Amino acid sequence: MSRRIAVLVFPGTNSEEETLRLLLACGGDAHLVHWSQAALLPGFDAYVLPGGFAYEDRIRAGAIAAHDAMMDPVLAGAAQGKLALGVCNGAQILLEAGLVPGTGEVRRPTAAFTRNAPAPHFVCRHVHVKLAVDPARCAITAALPKYALIPAWTANGEGRLAASEEHLQEIERGEHIAFVYAHADGSVDASATPNQSALGIAGLVNREGNVLALMPHPERDAWTFNHPDERRGDAILATSGGAALFRSFVEAVART
Amino acid sequence: MAEISGVALRSDELARIRERLGREPSEVELHAFDAQWSEHCSYKSSRHQLKRLPTSGRYVVLGPAEDSGILHLGEWNGERYGIVIAHESHNHPSQVVPFEGAATGIGGIVRDVLCMGAQVIAVADPLRFGRIEDPHSHQRYVAQGVVDGISAYGNAIGVPNIAGDVYFDERFDDNCLVNVVAMGVVKEAEIIHSYAPPGAGGWDIVLVGKATDPSGFGGASFSSLTLDAADEDANKGAVQVPDPFLKSVLMRASYRVFGFLRERGLTVGFKDLGAGGIMGCSAEITAAGGYGARIDLDAVNVAVDGMPPEVIAVGETQERLLWVVPPDVTPELVRIYNDEFTLPEIAYNARAVKIGTVTAEKRYVLTHRGASVMDVDIDFLTGSIRDDLPVSEIATPDVTTERPLVTGVQLDELIERVLAHADVCSREPLYQRYDAVVRGCTVIPRGAAAAGVLAPVPGSPLGVALAVAGNPRYSHIDVRLAAEHAVYDAVRKVVATGARPIGLTDCLNFGNPRKIDHYSELVSAIDGLARAAERFGTPFVSGNVSLYNESAKGRAIPASPIVACVGAFDDIASVVTMPLKSAGSVLYAVGRPQNALGGSVLLDVLGRSDEHLPRIDYEVILRQHELLYEAAQSRVLRAAHPIGNGGLLVALCEMAFATLRKGRAHVGAQIDEAWQWTHGSVGDLEAHFGEAGGFVVEIAASDVEAFEGLADDVEGVYEIGVTIERPVLVVDDEAFDLHRLCDIWRAPLREVYP
Repeated sequence: MSRRIAVLVFPGTNSEEETLRLLLACGGDAHLVHWSQAALLPGFDAYVLPGGFAYEDRIRAGAIAAHDAMMDPVLAGAAQGKLALGVCNGAQILLEAGLVPGTGEVRRPTAAFTRNAPAPHFVCRHVHVKLAVDPARCAITAALPKYALIPAWTANGEGRLAASEEHLQEIERGEHIAFVYAHADGSVDASATPNQSALGIAGLVNREGNVLALMPHPERDAWTFNHPDERRGDAILATSGGAALFRSFVEAVART
Repeated sequence: MAEISGVALRSDELARIRERLGREPSEVELHAFDAQWSEHCSYKSSRHQLKRLPTSGRYVVLGPAEDSGILHLGEWNGERYGIVIAHESHNHPSQVVPFEGAATGIGGIVRDVLCMGAQVIAVADPLRFGRIEDPHSHQRYVAQGVVDGISAYGNAIGVPNIAGDVYFDERFDDNCLVNVVAMGVVKEAEIIHSYAPPGAGGWDIVLVGKATDPSGFGGASFSSLTLDAADEDANKGAVQVPDPFLKSVLMRASYRVFGFLRERGLTVGFKDLGAGGIMGCSAEITAAGGYGARIDLDAVNVAVDGMPPEVIAVGETQERLLWVVPPDVTPELVRIYNDEFTLPEIAYNARAVKIGTVTAEKRYVLTHRGASVMDVDIDFLTGSIRDDLPVSEIATPDVTTERPLVTGVQLDELIERVLAHADVCSREPLYQRYDAVVRGCTVIPRGAAAAGVLAPVPGSPLGVALAVAGNPRYSHIDVRLAAEHAVYDAVRKVVATGARPIGLTDCLNFGNPRKIDHYSELVSAIDGLARAAERFGTPFVSGNVSLYNESAKGRAIPASPIVACVGAFDDIASVVTMPLKSAGSVLYAVGRPQNALGGSVLLDVLGRSDEHLPRIDYEVILRQHELLYEAAQSRVLRAAHPIGNGGLLVALCEMAFATLRKGRAHVGAQIDEAWQWTHGSVGDLEAHFGEAGGFVVEIAASDVEAFEGLADDVEGVYEIGVTIERPVLVVDDEAFDLHRLCDIWRAPLREVYP
């Protein structure tokens, strides 16, 4: 039987449709699950937390959703080795739930995506993220090439990773830095990071490698038509760029 | 002026009401007529003028009759798809409380699109601000708060912001303009109308959304008065409170209801609550179907107890919509909103609830605590008000004399000053705060072309372009021609992306219509809009009128007809963007320059004035637009960008800057001396900085023959230069460093929007 993927919709989630569309295009058996249907979640084999403003970012982005009943099956499933991918607000929720980097207790975050800097504003900008661990370190990135460069859009007001010096060292030592911001040519320096995120971090993975949190949106740069300057004839409706990560995720789900 | 405190009705209007009712109107009736007969709701002084706009054509699915207009986009898999489009202003609220005013502007227009049964796919914002140089000025506060409000609301509900413009002018110091356009997509077979359908007598009227509270009481009449600084605190109470979180859930729940209605094959009515609140919406949706309504105000979900009936009836609490459905459908409708999407848990006492009944008798009746508090002829309430205001002839400037050319100024200094001009410099600091790519359908976000482009139907190659325009520097010279330019500019932006322009929407922002000069301006602007829309074959399918944009000091805004244009693509593979693509291409100007610098950025920079606005030669321009379309279809257009504010050199710079910003730093441009390609027909500065329209296009050397073949019988096509491998702009043998020019262009708004 095919592995079923739940796309979680919290009140305030707003990227569920494009996330679902891309998962389906990548061959995933994906379904939207709304907050009033939380009881269905334990029956799914993998979880995707899409972008948006769950509970309107009260307190801090992801803080309320992390305590929602929707997250109980995700926490339980992750502990059993089920895969979970969070993008943007989904990534914020995974951090607030303590699932990534997973160096502390459940629902006791050791790091958070917080207000952008230097200007504390929402920023919508095209970026690239670069795989910063061995692809096999994280089940979800296993099908990507080494140092894979993924195009994506950053679109958030709270995307800057913040943690204490001690926790940052733990994140670095434990190979939790899954993705860093990079330039289009793959080079990495401080100017590639749009929000002064610590260590240029764009994405984090937990110790076990089954939960991945990524701030920028690869699903918004996942079709050739998202790149009209680089269109290739009839392939305008084909998947491209950012789809690679979702494809790798769907393949990983099939292996579980 | 007002006869009764807090009510904007005039004494002659009050007399009409007394005569018709045969008695004194009740307090509720007074406020109901006040809202319904305001310009905002009734268009009493503008409706008969607006009738002169062309509103039909081959792409029109629904003209301006309901909450939004609908244009035919194309067919895919045997389904016809429509683009739903609406245009609103939230000028008065944004001047008083900028963040909330701008946010509720988006909130309101999104509901206008949603209630047609559509998925909301985009918003766009034309903005007009005052002088913002002083960091402590109210104008700066307004300019920042408005952008933050648009950002906070639009981003949260997950609707991409793909187009817009902004101008700064001291005449907007006391009255900013915050217009907002929203766009949706719908299968034409699944459109829901804003009227009670045939056979709706006895059906339920179901209110859905936020609990009614005292906010936004008097909003309709507030926006139909001039702003008085002394009343600022009182005015704040007339502004509504936005709740994008609730709206996000309401939209998704409504999409689910659309699915349920499709399954059941039901025809119902659905309408946004805007001006006039529950009363305005329920009266209009039933009257439009030829019915009356009976509403029980005690059934309304309220946020606080003890509100007076007129506040419940007429208050403009945000985030509410109204359904007209058969009684046996109501339980499922209520279940979807209240249980499946848990509205009561999302916001205090938010819910779907039946509040009344559609009646065959054409009366509008409100009851409160068991007693009738309003009982009037519904057609008298919704349809009988009209103001015939006096119009005077507007003097048009005498431009028959030949203009002396602008001479004696150095090009290098001018380029930098024009690029740094407030109406030319980069808008990125603003639009970077708007989510341009949520929903994953964005083909061209802001900054990559003059129009935004989406692929609105997943899996299909159909595309839609959207652009806005309206230059406030033109209208005081010749408002009729300024209105024509607004249409031409919006159409041109869409054409530059390779789209077919299919229709328009407008927002007419003017001063007090009871002053003959302002009203005459409005009438002239409509003349201009009508003429241009007819010539371009792009009808108006929706629009809005915002009058009384005037402070108590009597200072009015420049007449501001603002236009949005929708374009269609059968296949988004033909989309054209603005960045220069490679060195070795040939650059053309498509568009004839004129010795007419009136209203131009150049003259503003030079501190001069001139009344020669560029003429619009429709015959020639239509052929140029066909050329752009054919060249895009045959894939020979490598890049294109419209010539607008700042003229040809600015257009070319923007194309080159877009290339730099993509990290490809090796493309520049070299332009022949202007007298060579204009054959001396216009001055050099006029050729470089004139705003007569047209395009700059890039054609690969290998496609030159094909392009020139297409352009063979098209007037006003000039080969002007080539793209080169260095990041410089070479004009008249002078080389300008593009990095440096780009920095100059990007800097000015950074300080205001860090």
